[in-house]
Amino acid sequence: MTSTTPAGAVGAHATVDLLVDGAAPAPDKQLRSSAVGRKRWVGRIVPTIVIIVCAAYFVFPLLTLARWAMQKVPTVLLGWDTLFDKWSAKDLTLAFSDPPFWTALWMSLQLAIVTVLLTLLLLVPTAIWVHLRLPRARAFVEFLTVLPFMIPAIALVAGIVIVKPHARWFLNSDYSLVPFYMVLALPFTYRAIDAGLKAIDLRTLVDASRSLGAGWGSTLRRVLLPNLRAAIISSSFLTLAVVLGEYTIANVLLKDTLPTYQRVFVGREPQGGYGLFLLTLLVTIALFVALSVLTRPRVTPRRPFEPPVADAGATTAEVR
Amino acid sequence: MTTLTFHGIRKTFGPTVALENLDLEVHDGELISLLGPSGCGKTTALRIAAGFEIADSGAVQVGGTDITRSPAHRRNMGMVFQSYSLFPNLTVANNVDFGLRTRKIDKTERRRRVADMLDLVQLTSMANRYPHQLSGGQQQRVALARALAVQPEVLLLDEPLSALDAKVRLTLRDEIRRIQTELRITTLFVTHDQEEALGISDRIGVMSNGRLEQLGTPTEVYRTPANPFVARFVGTMNEIPATVAGPGAAQVAGHTVATDTGALAAGASVNLLARPEDLSLVDGGEGLPGSVTGTTFQGATTVVHVRLDTIDMLVAVSLAGTGAGGLAPGDRTSVRLDGSRVLCEAAG
Repeated sequence: MTSTTPAGAVGAHATVDLLVDGAAPAPDKQLRSSAVGRKRWVGRIVPTIVIIVCAAYFVFPLLTLARWAMQKVPTVLLGWDTLFDKWSAKDLTLAFSDPPFWTALWMSLQLAIVTVLLTLLLLVPTAIWVHLRLPRARAFVEFLTVLPFMIPAIALVAGIVIVKPHARWFLNSDYSLVPFYMVLALPFTYRAIDAGLKAIDLRTLVDASRSLGAGWGSTLRRVLLPNLRAAIISSSFLTLAVVLGEYTIANVLLKDTLPTYQRVFVGREPQGGYGLFLLTLLVTIALFVALSVLTRPRVTPRRPFEPPVADAGATTAEVR
Repeated sequence: MTTLTFHGIRKTFGPTVALENLDLEVHDGELISLLGPSGCGKTTALRIAAGFEIADSGAVQVGGTDITRSPAHRRNMGMVFQSYSLFPNLTVANNVDFGLRTRKIDKTERRRRVADMLDLVQLTSMANRYPHQLSGGQQQRVALARALAVQPEVLLLDEPLSALDAKVRLTLRDEIRRIQTELRITTLFVTHDQEEALGISDRIGVMSNGRLEQLGTPTEVYRTPANPFVARFVGTMNEIPATVAGPGAAQVAGHTVATDTGALAAGASVNLLARPEDLSLVDGGEGLPGSVTGTTFQGATTVVHVRLDTIDMLVAVSLAGTGAGGLAPGDRTSVRLDGSRVLCEAAG
């Protein structure tokens, strides 16, 4: 029976087969089997360790922030022995009773919505055009989109200071932040859209749609946007995250956004301020969880197709 | 009556000439295959017909109407692509329905046509599946149903079988032919697979370097190739070096073969092109002597590989059934050429 074990059935199964049969296993086969078992064990344990380390990297700072924001224990006494002492969610919602918080939040949400819409309006057609018509320009466009990584927000601020006297009409508007946010979010948003386009067979889908009589608008609406849904949602959430976190430019332009409010609030109510940071972070995490749920591929249709009963006898000869 | 006509089509991409003066007419209800190696211009011709590329010069007509400058979505053509082109966000039924919705056909009619098309490609039970839940062959059948649902004047097939495995390819090839014959739809089929082209087409257009080298029925293209390129590209061909012995005769290792030598002068070096089935094995001094190096059993035929003594080269001889008898590697035999089926080209 030693030779009847399928090639794939190594490890535990192979060992059981050998023992049940009662025949003495060849020593080299035993060695091979234990080596394979060891490899499998290592293959399981290493990823688990990596996941635990990564989770700890993210979770421990969050827990520390939570302790600082929600435990009524003096900072010097925060330790293992006080881990479960005097927790309170009261300061977490302290900002909610402060009217300027709602004004700042509303301002940031408005800016986020406008930024997301304008970014998508500009970026999606541009990225599609570059992929379809100017594939050679892709490297150059990618380079342009990473410029905000190289040119920090503070450099943009310096630029604003220079142009401020000449563009007050524009910079006085709350929405003057939108172009800056668009630029700052560009490395993330373009990459998300670009990855989405690379994941689909863009040219074939466009050609197929057009050969079926759809114009460019219809192709974009019915074929491309639905297939770029994951990319668009992730691009939107990334923009939202940038807008909800950007402080430097909003502060220079004297705008009351959520980050500028948070800065003021944390000075006034340290625990409440950090509670607000924690809450913002948790909302962002919840958004990304929602993103992964929203972008799962569909397995069952919303409205299943049912063939017409009256035409059950129709023949293929009628088709043409 | 729907005919697809190319009149003197020329297309270049930068310095590369993709199509040079292409003249071709696909008759009503006919299936023509464009066959050729990669880069020969066959897909460009198809894309020009579909409206995805615009010809530099020349005209494309469908049923006598000039569509050269019409955008792709205004041409009434159905197209099936090499890569699975189903819309991933739509179910099978909605994919088939796509073109019908675009044409604003009423809902009842759309449902009827979708049901008919799914029935035609035998995928009614898959109507509510998504493309990622289908096999490659099923996806291509849906793509075919989707292309046919809009009742196109012309069906364009761009290597629709090349991404499939051998068995599915054969089944789907027969299915495409059955449906095309059933619907009598004018079809242009692009492939680089000669077996596919020979098996499915009414006529084959063999292309090379942007030119149509020969247009004819599969039998014509195979049996009477217009030139050495077609002869070599379609089917297997033995190339035997020879010299022109005189008008209508070539000499191979002391043996004279009657063949059309054209205007070539006596003494000129030539290659004799002969298909394996146009060679036969004989005993004694009638043919070119050689040794059997091996045999390949192919079911209906057996191919015997013989190394010729005098010119030290390997030729394949195809014998019907088990005609190879008891030939084994090392056995001595002689190869005879049937001159009437041998093509002669100047060497070098």
